[in-house]
Amino acid sequence: MLRRERRQYGLDDIPVASFSDIAFLLIIFFILTTTLVATRGFLTDFPAGQRSEKQDEKKATTVTLRDGKVLLNNSPVDIPTLRKELRALNLRDRTGDDKVVMLESAGRVEYREYFQVMAAVTQAGGTLCIVRETGGD
Amino acid sequence: MRTPRRRRRRARIIIPVASMADIAFQLIIFFMICSNFARDAGISVQPPPAPNLERLRESRTAVAIDAQGRIYVQGRRMPDARSVETEVAELLRRAQTPDARTVLFRCDRAAERDLFEPVMDAITRAGGIIAAVGEPEEKQR
Repeated sequence: MLRRERRQYGLDDIPVASFSDIAFLLIIFFILTTTLVATRGFLTDFPAGQRSEKQDEKKATTVTLRDGKVLLNNSPVDIPTLRKELRALNLRDRTGDDKVVMLESAGRVEYREYFQVMAAVTQAGGTLCIVRETGGD
Repeated sequence: MRTPRRRRRRARIIIPVASMADIAFQLIIFFMICSNFARDAGISVQPPPAPNLERLRESRTAVAIDAQGRIYVQGRRMPDARSVETEVAELLRRAQTPDARTVLFRCDRAAERDLFEPVMDAITRAGGIIAAVGEPEEKQR
């Protein structure tokens, strides 16, 4: 009798008919709430160290940012000209210290300009080196 | 009389849907494993524009500076650059490959030098490779 009742009412079966609905609802939720973002930028591995007195500073290419102005080896340039000049230096073909481009900044400098200079140096194949006053620590 | 009997004998077509749930759950698991969840979501940053930016790989470590000058590591607020160095060094402690040492650096374009330079320095001191995030310049025009 008991067996018959079970078969009749389907007590042995776990109802799984709604599982697929739940799963598909979850998928739809994830698809709708996901934002696909392709992060763009560039990689910079700054060499860490301290500037020595003996360092030959004249050889290294220097980009200076000062109050919204960009100077390449102390000559004022705009960002497109800086890109051209750096490309002309063939930094990619150079090795060791010859690849180094010093980036100095003073006064009021926004990240926008800083980023554009960093991008120009990196894209030209140079090794960026940030010159920072540390106050002796 | 014959016609209705034949109709009754016709077999019912049943579509097997028992495996639908398995397929759907496998899809969910696949999406969850393949997804990279943004660690600094909700932080308002307008990245600076530049041309020819390359596509960056997702990184496990993220540092951000928002328009108000607040510093974040993995979405958590940091009081200063020194704390960034300690936090990033701890996160990169087990990093062996250059990929694992990459730190995604998102900084607002209006941030001042006194703010972002010590943070970048802190990341470098902690052994991180900075992946500076920007916006393709083509979008601006």
